[in-house]
Amino acid sequence: MSTEFLSMLQLADSFFPAGTYTMSNGLEALAKRKKADVKELQELISTHLGRQVGPADCCALGNAYECAKKSNLGGILRADWALYAVKLVEEVRNASSRSGANLVRCVATFSDDKILSDYNNAVSEKRTSGMYPAALAVACAALRIPKREAGTMFLYSFCVGMAGAALRLGAIDHVAAQKMLHALRPTIAKIVEENVNKPLDRLWQFAPGIDVVQMEHERLDSKMFIT
Amino acid sequence: MAKRVPRVGIGGPVGSGKTMLIEQVVPALFSMGYKAGIISNDVVSKEDADRMRHNLATEKGMLAEDLVVGLATGGCPHTAVREDPSMNIAEVEEMESRHPELDLIIIESGGDNITTTFSPALADYFIYIVDVAGGDKYPRKRGLGIETCDLLVINKIDLAAHVGADLKVMERDAREVRGKNPFAFVNCRTGGGIDRVAGHIVRDVLFELPPKAMVG
Repeated sequence: MSTEFLSMLQLADSFFPAGTYTMSNGLEALAKRKKADVKELQELISTHLGRQVGPADCCALGNAYECAKKSNLGGILRADWALYAVKLVEEVRNASSRSGANLVRCVATFSDDKILSDYNNAVSEKRTSGMYPAALAVACAALRIPKREAGTMFLYSFCVGMAGAALRLGAIDHVAAQKMLHALRPTIAKIVEENVNKPLDRLWQFAPGIDVVQMEHERLDSKMFIT
Repeated sequence: MAKRVPRVGIGGPVGSGKTMLIEQVVPALFSMGYKAGIISNDVVSKEDADRMRHNLATEKGMLAEDLVVGLATGGCPHTAVREDPSMNIAEVEEMESRHPELDLIIIESGGDNITTTFSPALADYFIYIVDVAGGDKYPRKRGLGIETCDLLVINKIDLAAHVGADLKVMERDAREVRGKNPFAFVNCRTGGGIDRVAGHIVRDVLFELPPKAMVG
């Protein structure tokens, strides 16, 4: 077994301290409007993947990864800022940025990779936004996790986060959550293939309905999640 | 590199008086010249943070309004202060960089059970608070929070007679469970016993150093 594979398990584990368990990505606001069933929840996650997380986050991750492999800090920062620029909702933007900073800071304590260290410095000095997908790309490159696996890990972790939030909001039970994650596998694989090798100038996201509920979340008086 | 601002974590069950303890301790420290910032981990609302901001900042002017911050924890209060305290640490560091004049930062955990502890990466000193109304069994029941905290606070002592709790039993059990580690009986509603809590913070967290504002 390769140590790279174990590194992938480590970063994908919900035990990894990046704070992603605090995010519902708008689901909490949506749950206040209407109780979604499992089918609707799966459709919602697929929309997230197909119209936000895939074409924007995964594309940025792929570009940041390639730049990290070439020790091109400037290129990583361009991908990082490009993703920051398309994230319309402040709460979501800030949460991603904090998680990315947490992730890269933690990995820098056990990896001596130079570009990771340079990127970590850029994040802590606020020369870059530290968006989670860019930070994950740099960490994966440092730990020699292949790019496609990095993208897959990112999308899968996103789905686990959404399923976990749905479970805590009472919208889904533990077995249904696992069935849903199983059913999402082909969607995850397809969206990674479509986006992880795309050039940065083809980065986009367009899911206004999701933007609206995420903005609604910002205005909730009573909430359990950061997003 | 500037020294980091000392951090005090306050944990305890729902309704035990964590927020009221902060509302009493911050003015007590303020009267000695010490300035504190507050990060409040609410489980489902920002009510505690809003109340403290109103009472301590807006009404009393003891701190700037941006020095009381509410933080959502995804419904996982102990994860947020122990297993993955990264979001709290990020908030603490942002507050520290905005306000280097602070003498300490207080982090209030969301209400939780008796196994709550703080990550040493987040808090330098850990206060665990229980209340008499939960029954005089609390210290005897142990649990990581009660056993390992730096200071155990037992609140609502005025209710003891009304709920059939025996303070002598609680005192005996607290001594037995905690050995030489301190505990304090308080009444956060009236402020009774708060000087002891503030005294522990000044001695054990601030090492009796003068407030930064006095040093210049």
